[in-house]
Amino acid sequence: MDRMNLPTSPYCTIGPFFPGEFAEGCGDLTRFAGKQARGRHIRLAGTVVEEGNRPIQNAVVEIWQPDANGIFRHPLDPRSKDADPGFFGWGRARTDAEGRYTFRTVMPGAYPNEAGATRCPHINLMVLAIGLTRRLVTTVFFTEGFDQVSDPVLDCVDDPVRRGRLCAIREEVSNDAGGLPAYRFDIVTRGPAETAFFTD
Amino acid sequence: MPGQSPIEHSIPPALPAAPEVDYEPYLENTQLARYIDHYPRSFTRNPSQPLIRRPLTLSERTGPVELQRRLSIDSEDISSKVPGGPRAMGQYIAVTGRVMDENGAPLAGAVIEIWQANSAGKYVHELDRHQAPIDPNFAGLGRFETDAEGQYKFLSIKPGAYPVMESDWWWRPPHIHFSIFGPSWMNRYVTQIFFPGEPLNETDLLLNAVQDPEARERLIFESTPTTVGAVNLLIFRRDFVLRGKRATPELE
Repeated sequence: MDRMNLPTSPYCTIGPFFPGEFAEGCGDLTRFAGKQARGRHIRLAGTVVEEGNRPIQNAVVEIWQPDANGIFRHPLDPRSKDADPGFFGWGRARTDAEGRYTFRTVMPGAYPNEAGATRCPHINLMVLAIGLTRRLVTTVFFTEGFDQVSDPVLDCVDDPVRRGRLCAIREEVSNDAGGLPAYRFDIVTRGPAETAFFTD
Repeated sequence: MPGQSPIEHSIPPALPAAPEVDYEPYLENTQLARYIDHYPRSFTRNPSQPLIRRPLTLSERTGPVELQRRLSIDSEDISSKVPGGPRAMGQYIAVTGRVMDENGAPLAGAVIEIWQANSAGKYVHELDRHQAPIDPNFAGLGRFETDAEGQYKFLSIKPGAYPVMESDWWWRPPHIHFSIFGPSWMNRYVTQIFFPGEPLNETDLLLNAVQDPEARERLIFESTPTTVGAVNLLIFRRDFVLRGKRATPELE
């Protein structure tokens, strides 16, 4: 077939009026198609702030992750036929006036990548907000002994402090209504404690 | 029981390589600038540190597919609040086009979300403080999917212009917001599409933040001759090219 080489369409900001309806019910990834997701259910929550630690209201946070066994529900994953039928892998949340977002999901599994290296348990995360003409993309890690792990994406972050900020913090006391273990991942789009973002 | 199911913890052997699709970084002159004068939030929200290049593994090359199973798809007619109900005030329009990758291959089954102001320039949104009336017959949002040829279509009303509350001069020209899910995390796409011939297009800070004039045109609908389609509606067309190029096969 013809292989055209078309220029990509320009990205633009979501602006201030992203409809709340589009995020309703999208923050809970622990059920899909009438089934409960396998694995350890967790709460992943945090705040999205800009320079001066000011909360960003009505930002949209989206996530994409493999299931508890490290399998993506996607045809490119050679193991996709074994993907958890109760787990879809995608979610969306909208921040409130304090910049807070919340997901309920499963702890993602590790898996070997194409080069034979291990991808540590991780969740892809993106932020859309007014003032951002493009999305901001990062990756959330969970690994215990985070300092020692090697992951092909995490290893691209040289600065150990910035690297550490990509690890979700286990909260001692769960503030989840359902009592799920809680992990905190705060996103600083700009500022001294800025999150490490990857090429979008 | 949540958290009680057995999980296989052993890591299986290396996976076969995923089919090669290139996701080149966006060409900056064909995209909006990240920092835009007179748009203060672009300076307080964009990261100060450079974005970090990383390899694209299976995780970044996959993304939500069959989103129709997770998100409800609406009727293609959002010109009224309920299907068959009274139509919203304003010019009745059809919006159509194709979603494809950089090779021109159609992206079938892609989910498209749109949101827009009503004909008076007012959104149905708790944060919209513009003193303009809400139209009881217009919800201003919809979710659709592309067909096997990557085509989408919906019926709506033309949105009105509105003032930016934080500015004393900036009026947003009529535009429709699009959010499109390609098959990969790397081609998740969000934008705003403008209407041709609008005087406010000349001063809009966002539209004019695209340096390359040809790229700017890709943010504007093409109008269709009024002789096409039903007599009572205007048709606007916009194709979308999402990032992603299948690698050229090597010569044998």
